Amino acid sequence: MARLAAILRALWLATRRDRKSVLSVGSNSFVMASLLVMQDAGLFIFLLVALVVIIPLSANPSQKIPLSRQRCWPLSRAEVWTLRMASPWVNPMTWLIALLLIAVEAEKITNGVWLFTAMVVSGGFLVSSLPKNLEHAVFRHMPRFPGILNQLIRKDLRQILSVMDVYLAGLLSGITAFVRLTGIDLPSHGLMILTTLVVLALSSYTLSLFGPDVPSGLSRYRLLPIRGWQPLLSKDLSVLLVSLPLLAPMQTVPGLGATLVALAIGHRPSVRVARMQSRWRFSRGARFLPLGLAQSFGIASAGALVFFHGPLLLVPCIAVWILSIRHYGKPIERGAAWVDTTLSP
Amino acid sequence: MAAQMAVASGLGLNPAPQDDALAGTRHHHGAQCRCTVFSRLGRLNPVISCRAVRRDFGDFTAIHDLNLEVAPGAICSLLGPNGAGKSTTIKVLTGLLPLTGGTAQVAGCDVRDDLQKLKCCIGVVPDDLGLFDDLTVAEHLSLTGTVHRLEARTARHRTDQLLSVLELAHFGDRFVSACSHGVRKKTALAMALLPNPKVLFLDEPFEGVDPVSSRTICGLLQQAAEKGTTVLLTTHSLFLAQSIASQFVIMIDGRLVWNVSATDVSGPLEQHYLDLIEPTEGGKVDWLGWRQS
Repeated sequence: MARLAAILRALWLATRRDRKSVLSVGSNSFVMASLLVMQDAGLFIFLLVALVVIIPLSANPSQKIPLSRQRCWPLSRAEVWTLRMASPWVNPMTWLIALLLIAVEAEKITNGVWLFTAMVVSGGFLVSSLPKNLEHAVFRHMPRFPGILNQLIRKDLRQILSVMDVYLAGLLSGITAFVRLTGIDLPSHGLMILTTLVVLALSSYTLSLFGPDVPSGLSRYRLLPIRGWQPLLSKDLSVLLVSLPLLAPMQTVPGLGATLVALAIGHRPSVRVARMQSRWRFSRGARFLPLGLAQSFGIASAGALVFFHGPLLLVPCIAVWILSIRHYGKPIERGAAWVDTTLSP
Repeated sequence: MAAQMAVASGLGLNPAPQDDALAGTRHHHGAQCRCTVFSRLGRLNPVISCRAVRRDFGDFTAIHDLNLEVAPGAICSLLGPNGAGKSTTIKVLTGLLPLTGGTAQVAGCDVRDDLQKLKCCIGVVPDDLGLFDDLTVAEHLSLTGTVHRLEARTARHRTDQLLSVLELAHFGDRFVSACSHGVRKKTALAMALLPNPKVLFLDEPFEGVDPVSSRTICGLLQQAAEKGTTVLLTTHSLFLAQSIASQFVIMIDGRLVWNVSATDVSGPLEQHYLDLIEPTEGGKVDWLGWRQS
């Protein structure tokens, strides 16, 4: 019993650390900007965030123990089964479902709410139990692109599709598309707000574009005989390739302007330090103050300018983006990028 | 330490084994012939040249005034205990880390100023392998071929050959994050070899690789060296080092303490190594072992 207690305690510690990484959504520019600007009206947004966050929070805790380690431990068959039965209870989401069931009995919430929450939690549990090599297989098939950046863009697309920011933006975009398809005419100003929200949802990722490459990929970037602006271009193209379809049901052109400005502002922190990113988590960008706030302001301003004054104002957005790529490509070429990401001896 | 500083000054291991017949003799007939090679190579310029190279990390100096020359077509084996500065030397010479002091040239490119040119003529297996988790083994090779601007047909042909020779063919479609350490290492090696570079920098190329593949890698390196490629590798396998290297360099605490030609080494390399680096005294763990004495 002491052995099981020790293992469960270790699992609890591991899942607690994991929960902290999931709740890094607190440093996400989208959440912070929504909190500042929308306040009470942002409830719907926070419900969406909660929905996206529940899935990784519901991960099967026993997956934290590598299978090889589990098999090496001298546990009896009974102990292995007890561990399997007990480990889900290390995750607070299991307790949440149990508490909600009590709430259903007390008629505080409806069966539908409980069933929906239970299904989302079970989904997260099952997904986390899938073999790890399937993680990448989801995005195995990527389109081919012309030029020398082909494989880099394919890689960058796989990376951006593995962070939750995209799925939050996707939910917003999907709901908008659904509403418009049902024939409801959304006011153009409302669509512009939704456009800004979608770009904001992707903005934290743009503040740490090279985070998913930490640590090994950074060495490769330093060794590849390519110009410094090319890795940045590849990263930016992957963001644009993901964001444009998401912006399609909204104000696409102002959204494009806002995305380009977000990318331009994100180049400096991305080249300065590569913050390690975890799969299926929200991106950890730079600190919200001042950079996240400045970027949010830039996104809102660029989008609004193009929206109110016409697509011609997309030209300065493109110019700013090109200048930024050229400027911040230089440290990559000189081998002076990611100076704060230590490559120790 | 003074006794250890048996640096073979004027080693003069210099260039150009463009003469394939001569190189072939070296490969097949061992140390006796290597001597002939070096006496002829000695007249040419080194491909790797370090002058008082220094690398600091804050207060810690990882490399102290390193002076080193490696001739074209030589296989130089950089040896030493963990933390001796071998990997840092490779990082500095490949532009992965900037120099703190001194000058270094690789294939005529200054590692400080000609970084872009340098990247075109070197192949590297860095200590962290430099692989992207989100690319498959084959995609890594495709990326290398494209950025080195190899003709598509040549790149495909070389890729197929390397995948086959390094026994990677079954892993081509596998993401590197799902591969074993050995497969990842061989992928990084294939990436280094694909553009057929002038200089190869290999950090622990045999570590985690099975014995048959290690032998294959040795063969590939010897073949490349015979045709003029210069190889600088770090390894802890003294046996493999002695079987392929034409120059041995030992570093301790960031200092070069031994730099000799293979022809000057008599007997097993291990003996020379242990003479320079003495094992820690009193390394006993009393409780280890199940039988109580």
